[in-house]
Amino acid sequence: MAKNRKNQAAAIRFGPALKASFLCLLIGGSALGYVWQKNEINRLGQQILEREKRLVQTQNDNKRLGDQIAILHSPVMLDRRAKELCLGLVPAQPLQVVRIAEMLVTQEKNSSRQFAQRLAIQQTP
Amino acid sequence: MTNKQQIHRALLLLGLLGAAFAGLVYRLVDLQVLRHVELAKLAGNNTQREYWQAPRRGDILDANGNFLATSVAVKRICADPSLVGNQSAVVARAIAPVLKLNEAELAQKLTPRVTVKKNRNGQSVTNELKYVRLAARVPEETWQRVVATMTNLTFGVDEKLLTRTNRTFLRNLRQRAIFAEPDQLRVYPNGALASQVIGFTAVEETNVSGHLISQITGRDGIELSMDKQLDGVFGWRTTETDRAQREQVALRDEDVHARDGLNIVLTIDSAVQHIVETALADALQKHTPKGITGIVMRPRTGEILAMVSLPNYDPNDPNTYKSGTHNRVIADVVEPGSTFKIVVVSGALDSGKVRLSDQFDCERGRFAFAGRVLHDHEGYGMMSTESIITKSSNIGAAKIGIKLGEQGLYDYSWNYGFGRKSGIPLPGEARGILNPVKQWSKVSIAQIPMGHGVAVTRLQMLYAMAAIANHGWLMRPMLVSRLQARDGSVVQRYAPERVRQVIGEQAYRDILQALKTVPMKGGTAPDAELKNYVVAGKTGTAQKVENGTYAHGKYISSFIGFFPADNPELCISVVMDEPKEGYYGGKVCGPVFRDIAERCASYLNIPMDPKLMTNTPTMGGKNLPRKT
Repeated sequence: MAKNRKNQAAAIRFGPALKASFLCLLIGGSALGYVWQKNEINRLGQQILEREKRLVQTQNDNKRLGDQIAILHSPVMLDRRAKELCLGLVPAQPLQVVRIAEMLVTQEKNSSRQFAQRLAIQQTP
Repeated sequence: MTNKQQIHRALLLLGLLGAAFAGLVYRLVDLQVLRHVELAKLAGNNTQREYWQAPRRGDILDANGNFLATSVAVKRICADPSLVGNQSAVVARAIAPVLKLNEAELAQKLTPRVTVKKNRNGQSVTNELKYVRLAARVPEETWQRVVATMTNLTFGVDEKLLTRTNRTFLRNLRQRAIFAEPDQLRVYPNGALASQVIGFTAVEETNVSGHLISQITGRDGIELSMDKQLDGVFGWRTTETDRAQREQVALRDEDVHARDGLNIVLTIDSAVQHIVETALADALQKHTPKGITGIVMRPRTGEILAMVSLPNYDPNDPNTYKSGTHNRVIADVVEPGSTFKIVVVSGALDSGKVRLSDQFDCERGRFAFAGRVLHDHEGYGMMSTESIITKSSNIGAAKIGIKLGEQGLYDYSWNYGFGRKSGIPLPGEARGILNPVKQWSKVSIAQIPMGHGVAVTRLQMLYAMAAIANHGWLMRPMLVSRLQARDGSVVQRYAPERVRQVIGEQAYRDILQALKTVPMKGGTAPDAELKNYVVAGKTGTAQKVENGTYAHGKYISSFIGFFPADNPELCISVVMDEPKEGYYGGKVCGPVFRDIAERCASYLNIPMDPKLMTNTPTMGGKNLPRKT
């Protein structure tokens, strides 16, 4: 029995075609997205590696420079430098040292820290 | 008929296909199940990598946080000869001057080599050499120069005209043939300062889970005794690499960071150590002894501020370590001589068997006892206990020893810490010799009080004197103040430790009074007297023992003292082994003591003795301390 072409689903069926295209795009897009994602992971991984190397390098430089400063400040190095420059420095004698006696606050039992501080301030000339 | 034939053929084909399929299934099961472990390991070897991360060795710091030893990150330069190919001469010519290596030797190392070895199954396997070490402990700057040199390396050809394979070869040669691994270098910024205390290190190859890793290990001093604390713990990373051996960060599995070693803070003050070393170096030039030692200790806490033994060595170059440069302070055992009189006299005073004013007949310098004749350096008559210390009379000390008794003398010596280790955290400490009473001869009771028949380390003698300075309380010698992490947080703090009270308060006051008379006019060490502080101390001059007999003209001279006498801040020992230009302890060691004491007092800002406050300041420069 012949079918009425007019009543048939269209000769060109847009619905399935759209569905198929959408499916293809989805699969293709997913594949491309997967590859892009993998590339990104790889690229970021290399960046992490680079930054890790730089971090180690910077930490090492920081340590090296910190050490250099510390060594240049050390008493032995300062003494050596003072001798090289013939600065004529001499250690202070005990009589050349002026000692300022510290005010001792007798803190009574149960007295608060604030109270003790106030006393000290009051005693300061 | 046809159908039957067709069915047979179909069955045959089916059988063949079935057999082939069964074979494939068997192969699949064999590969995936039966040989899974073996093959998975082989496959993993192609991509999986395990990297070991060496920890940074902890620093050694002085009491004020100044570096005494530190670790510097450097590089170990390596090469892959398989990537160098026939260009080894060109590469060697380029990098040999940068690495300061011999060009011919370097070219030899870079030449590709193939070795043929037999595996476990007896099959011959060829291995291409892919790893050689070119240089160790190379500074970062040098490595950067090597990288620049390799990047700019030219081969005298137009590379655009080369085939793709050759261009790839040259690119790999420039980028990957020479590479660097992290390494560490132990640096002692102050050179020989406190070298015997700090020690030195060596580089060892350690096998960590099948990987050979270079590791710094201690060989002497604190570097050796506290090696575990300084070492730290290895870290590791399990990861995968691509074909070009680049790590795939996303595929990292285990990533455990190395735990750095702890920093060790010593009680040593590098400024005090420097003062003592320079003073002893001057004395070494003047008196040319075989060796000279100096120790500075805080008697109240037992903290050692300086420990010097000359000659010493530079730990940056362990080849300078040779015989005689060891730490004599703790390793050498000698008869102490007259400094040991402090033990017998303080013991006799403490036991109540002798009083400070008691008189003893010093027999005009000759005293026959137990078949031997004891001598004094001068002939003395009647002397008080105090004068026996002041003049350092051997006969007087012997008579006090006889009065104290053998067991009493032994007990006090033992309680002062003689004959046993002090517990200082340094390797090679000697016990000294203090024989039990049953092994003593008849004359021992007269000889030991004058410092013969007993052998001590210089550290033992110092802390015995420090115990007297500390009201009779013996303190454990402290060399390590605390352990701290890299961020400065304290992991462990060591507190001063009282060992025992050896003498009581009254005996302390009496012996102090006697010791104050030594560095004065009339005493044996007037040269040890200080301008602004009252000093208490004792001299010692002991003949050296060689091959079982006393050697003529060879002496161990010493002076041990503390100041300010009534409120001691520092206890200082100076000992010379075979000094020339004089040998009496007071004469040769007294001035060195004074020099060290004056400079240390100035540096540490020790308040001058109230009793000497009447002294006028000397601003004109005549009596000023040595210029720096």
